Amino acid sequence: MIKTEHLSKSYGGLMVLKDVSAHIQKGEVVSIIGPSGTGKSTFLRCVNLLEIPSSGSIFIDNTALLAKTTNIPQIRQKVGMVFQSFNLYSHLSVLGNLTIGPIKLLGKSKAIAESKALELLKLVGLAEKADSFPDELSGGQKQRVAIARCLAMDPEVLLFDEPTSALDPTMVSEVLAVIRGLAKAGMTMMIVTHEMEFARNISSRVFYMDEGIIYEEGTPQQIFENPQKEKTKTFINRIRSFNYHIGSKNYDLYAMNAEIEAFCAKHLLPRKVFSNVLLLVEEVLGLQTEFSDIMLTFAYSEKSGQLEFVFESVGISENPLEEGVRDDDIGLMLIKGTCESIRYSYENGKNILLAKVKGK
Amino acid sequence: MKNKALMVVLLFIILLSLVGCNGGNGKLTESSTSGQKDTKTTVINESTKLKTAADLKDKRIGILLGSVHDAYATKTYPQAQLLHYKSLPDLILGVKSGKVEAAFYNRETLIEIFRNDNELAFLEERVYLIPIGIGFNKQNSGLREQFNAFLKQSKENGVYDDMVNRWINNGITDMPVIDNPKTNGVLIVGMVSDKGLPFAIVKDNKLVGFDVELSERFAAYLGKELKLVDTEFGSLIAAVSTNKIDMFASSVMITEERKQQIDFSDPYYELGVSVFALKKNIAQYDEQPDTVTAIPFIKNLSDRFHNNIIRENRYLLILDGLKTTAVIALVAAIFGTLLGALVCFMRMSRNRLAITIAKFYISIMRGIPVLVLLMIIYYVVFASIDINPSLVAVLAFGMNFAAYVSEMFRMSIESIDNGQTEAGIAGGFTKTQTFLYIIMPQAIRRALPVYKGEFISLVKMTSIVGYIAVQDLTKASDIIRSRTFDAFFPLIMVAVLYFLVSWSLALVLDYMEARSNPKRNRKAGRVTND
Repeated sequence: MIKTEHLSKSYGGLMVLKDVSAHIQKGEVVSIIGPSGTGKSTFLRCVNLLEIPSSGSIFIDNTALLAKTTNIPQIRQKVGMVFQSFNLYSHLSVLGNLTIGPIKLLGKSKAIAESKALELLKLVGLAEKADSFPDELSGGQKQRVAIARCLAMDPEVLLFDEPTSALDPTMVSEVLAVIRGLAKAGMTMMIVTHEMEFARNISSRVFYMDEGIIYEEGTPQQIFENPQKEKTKTFINRIRSFNYHIGSKNYDLYAMNAEIEAFCAKHLLPRKVFSNVLLLVEEVLGLQTEFSDIMLTFAYSEKSGQLEFVFESVGISENPLEEGVRDDDIGLMLIKGTCESIRYSYENGKNILLAKVKGK
Repeated sequence: MKNKALMVVLLFIILLSLVGCNGGNGKLTESSTSGQKDTKTTVINESTKLKTAADLKDKRIGILLGSVHDAYATKTYPQAQLLHYKSLPDLILGVKSGKVEAAFYNRETLIEIFRNDNELAFLEERVYLIPIGIGFNKQNSGLREQFNAFLKQSKENGVYDDMVNRWINNGITDMPVIDNPKTNGVLIVGMVSDKGLPFAIVKDNKLVGFDVELSERFAAYLGKELKLVDTEFGSLIAAVSTNKIDMFASSVMITEERKQQIDFSDPYYELGVSVFALKKNIAQYDEQPDTVTAIPFIKNLSDRFHNNIIRENRYLLILDGLKTTAVIALVAAIFGTLLGALVCFMRMSRNRLAITIAKFYISIMRGIPVLVLLMIIYYVVFASIDINPSLVAVLAFGMNFAAYVSEMFRMSIESIDNGQTEAGIAGGFTKTQTFLYIIMPQAIRRALPVYKGEFISLVKMTSIVGYIAVQDLTKASDIIRSRTFDAFFPLIMVAVLYFLVSWSLALVLDYMEARSNPKRNRKAGRVTND
């Protein structure tokens, strides 16, 4: 269906893709995961020539895309693309967005195109928005319309470029549900995503991209449960981490809490974990006397479902976990109540606390 | 809509107050009586009243731009301040409103004017005499010889004396019927339409006068059809030396300086050069007590309205001018928009050469005043080609308009999110289709508000086409002023008409803007749950 051979792409001197070869069969759902800036989107955009590769070749249904005689616009009609930023035609209604392609490109009559469009809108749950305009829709609705717009062209392949990255956490699931439905119906898809749980459930194959190549590929089980290579392991185990730096005693508590909340929401962590981690951070900072250089790190491992909290403070060695030093040890008790385990160490002039947050 | 109604009401209030100011001063023109004090006029005491032309030595003197009086006045009154006026009506208004104490003009025309106007009088009727002649291109001596022969014949058979008698001595303003087989082609004659009687004036929307009859008779002598081209006085010599016209007959005085550029026929008349001023500023006219009481305000107003608009069907002139203005503006806008789209396309292309050409074009067009561009196209680019001046106007305004709209288009196209293009391309549209179906509809909507402003300024900009002999709305008002010497009605009338044209065009564009709003076309109550 889609075959790339020795695909390379460089911007100026920067090599983004290095010799990527892949073969995707009809009906496959391939998720492309990996850290930011490793060429995932570039690879996807090369497949329908939104980016022109520097070298290599691409075949769709055995048609060489880079051959001079190939009618690229015609190939693209069969390859739908869903963008991170939706890119709905803002001068057209939802219905207009769905019918302009079939009418202008496939030569369908307006009536046929509209009835098909309404059917597709029902499929993505937005039939009542047919006459709305893009600026009247929420992000999740826009993305569902964008998917329906691709489907209106009867595509053979759908490409998704981080379809949920620009969405509020609350709207991610409605879009993922639609994509899941398409996967069940047997649509061939390539999906660049940061939604690991989703990638794991939906994919028939997963590409882990790093350093401009497909670093490791395999079934979701292989990649998520038993990665072979070092970088893949690190990525899978600590897929997402989040840092917050404090430089003075007058830090912005509310901004910090809001970021922690956003992080928890993004990983769909239970309410319990969120309230525990907030309490933990508050109490640890309450015991602190030195605020010149503090780094908070939150890391969520999807594999274990565990939230890890690392607290590093530059200064003289001082163990906050030591009992009986202060007037009371209520703070200490609260800290221990929120953690499954907590451990203190002093390395390189830094006091380090490593905690696993309760509430799995 | 409420706002618009309010605007119209406001406009009328402003107009009425203007009328009020003017009428209240009792400053009348054609139907006015003498001796009324005008507060705006420079007050001249008895002691400083003018006695002879020599008194002008340190005064302000009005002169027709490009006329021979200029050199004379400069030489004779080195201390005086000379103000150059573009046409006779302006010159007369200058004297009447006290902008200048006195002005030079030819005696024969002034006699005609004084028949209807008793505010003005000669300060000195014959300062000197000067011959006038017909102007020809230096290469066209054949035509000149023919004219001289024709003139000689006319003088011998008495036709010439009859003409002088009728036009100049008796002030008869009817054109006689002249037999002309018109089998020998066309004779194009340049003429200043507001030169003034007895030589040339627009009456009943036709040119009449001594110069006109002379031209008619010469055309008949040649058996050619006469085509009169209304030309600014300052452009006559340029027009004949670039062959835009075969000759000019506009009582042009024969001078050495002019002879260097063109050839003159034998003199066909000797003009007296006169100095005139307001009667009340001239010592010999002692102030007479007012015998006639002031005409009631409304009556005065309606008289002037009748005089300026209704008499001799002058409104037809204005309607024709309006039509010309509208046509030039519309065609120039269409041409300019298309050209602007082309320039925009070149400017946004990847071809270095095309980009350079487009940039160059835009900066040149934005850097040259339209009037200068208009004259360059007419007198330089198409110097030796017979081209319809309206077409030149369309070209010049269109080219100027194109420079502005091309940048406007570029701005609105570039303001559209790149994601729209990507979505179109990824959806299977070609680049052209993406532009046509996706980018352009959005870009037009963004450009329209600015486009509307540019378009309206284009309409107003066309008021300068009189420079290349197109009779537009402004020119029509000039012609009327040249008959009535009343500035108020023609100017206000034209101002109102320009406003109405711009306003209604803006309404059309407003409507288009509303139409281009996609949400407007939303179908109400679509059944979606069937």
